[in-house]
Amino acid sequence: MKQGIIENLIAELTKLPGIGRRTAQRLAFFILAMPDEEAKGISRAIDEVKNNARFCRECFNITEDEVCSICSNPSRDRSRICVVEEPSNIFVVERSKSFDGVYHVLLGSLSPIDGMTPDRLKIHELIERVRKNSVQEVILATNPNTKGEMTAQYVRELLKPFFVKVTRIAYGLPIGGDIEFADEATLSKAIQGRRDF
Amino acid sequence: MLKRTEGIVIRTVPYGEADLIVTYLTPDFGILKVFAKSPRKFKSRFGGSLEPLTQSKISFWGREDAPLPRLTQSDILNSFQPLREEFSSFLKLSEILELILSFLPERDANKMAYALLLNTLHTIKEKQNDTLLMTSFKIKFLHLVGFAPRLDSCGRCGKHGYSFYLAQGSIMCEGCAQRIDSPVKISPAAVQFYSDLLTWDIMKVNRIRPSGALLEEISNLITMHIRYILSKPLKTESFSLKQSHHKIQS
Ligand SMILES: [Zn+2]
Ligand SMILES: [Zn+2]
Repeated sequence: MKQGIIENLIAELTKLPGIGRRTAQRLAFFILAMPDEEAKGISRAIDEVKNNARFCRECFNITEDEVCSICSNPSRDRSRICVVEEPSNIFVVERSKSFDGVYHVLLGSLSPIDGMTPDRLKIHELIERVRKNSVQEVILATNPNTKGEMTAQYVRELLKPFFVKVTRIAYGLPIGGDIEFADEATLSKAIQGRRDF
Repeated sequence: MLKRTEGIVIRTVPYGEADLIVTYLTPDFGILKVFAKSPRKFKSRFGGSLEPLTQSKISFWGREDAPLPRLTQSDILNSFQPLREEFSSFLKLSEILELILSFLPERDANKMAYALLLNTLHTIKEKQNDTLLMTSFKIKFLHLVGFAPRLDSCGRCGKHGYSFYLAQGSIMCEGCAQRIDSPVKISPAAVQFYSDLLTWDIMKVNRIRPSGALLEEISNLITMHIRYILSKPLKTESFSLKQSHHKIQS
């Protein structure tokens, strides 16, 4: 066997997040030992994603069709839009099983110092969706950091003329944690965001 | 080797899945970039300490010449959380953060620049028009890095004059200028105000009340001067422009 090809696979695998040299080695030899069909299934799946993945026309989720499976699902509540930064965020909110509305992916967040201006995000498209559809609530689920917060505030201002209810996901402490270990920025946000109990 | 200093977060750039490259302004190392492992995970020990403007005590680990030492600890001294609460105030502060990034080299100790930024952050009051403070910061900062415009007298012969030439970064008298390019006319009051801002303590600058026109004259001149030196507008400046454009569209 030529030494180059397995080395090459190891090198390719280390490009994945969280995969160091040792894990890549283990994976490479595992793939080598796999039945043909199974191993080729992995490479086919990668091919398919890379060839067919595109953005949903409505919400900018990743899909292989014109419109993603969430937007085309008639049982989803189309009057509520949850705004996220990245398509991967949708998977996380879906996993929480706490939301039955639809989504809107901005494909990033605002950052003046990095030149991330509003025109580089799908903000205008969100405003158009609110303008054209009878939307009751827009939930801003951008990240709880400065860029996410600036993005949320910016979108809120643009939504003001539409008299739609705008909400922001709560800032809080991670479940299972101990207040003792919370930093002052997180704790002050959690206290500001307290609710009746 | 483990090193300790304090720093103010200027910028963070996501790296890989959950990591960050954090740029600090520190008194001992000037601009310092460090690699922070997994701060974007909620269980991270860095918590909210890596948000822009946060002042922390930090430790980092790396060889003397390592391009990206690893951040091992950051304990908040001042979170400056209120300064990140409002879009418009953070946008203004982004401009001075960008200025710092544009003019200061990496790993060049600069206690003055650090003190200037820290004092500015302490002086900002919430929901207040900070144009005076921002302009004052810019003038003092440009002076620190040796790029302040010269407004007291002709840059060549020292005579008095009130025509500012962008290409020279200075006032020029009629004799020396000889129509190099079209100058920016400056009022005598603005020249005086500029020299006052250079000398006044930034923490007390909020006590003075210049007229709107005077402040605008100086702040416009500084903006033009910075744009000329960098040969492009600051990204933050074009952000403000695009922002207003976007608002008109929708
Ligand atoms: Zn969709
Ligand atoms: Zn002269």
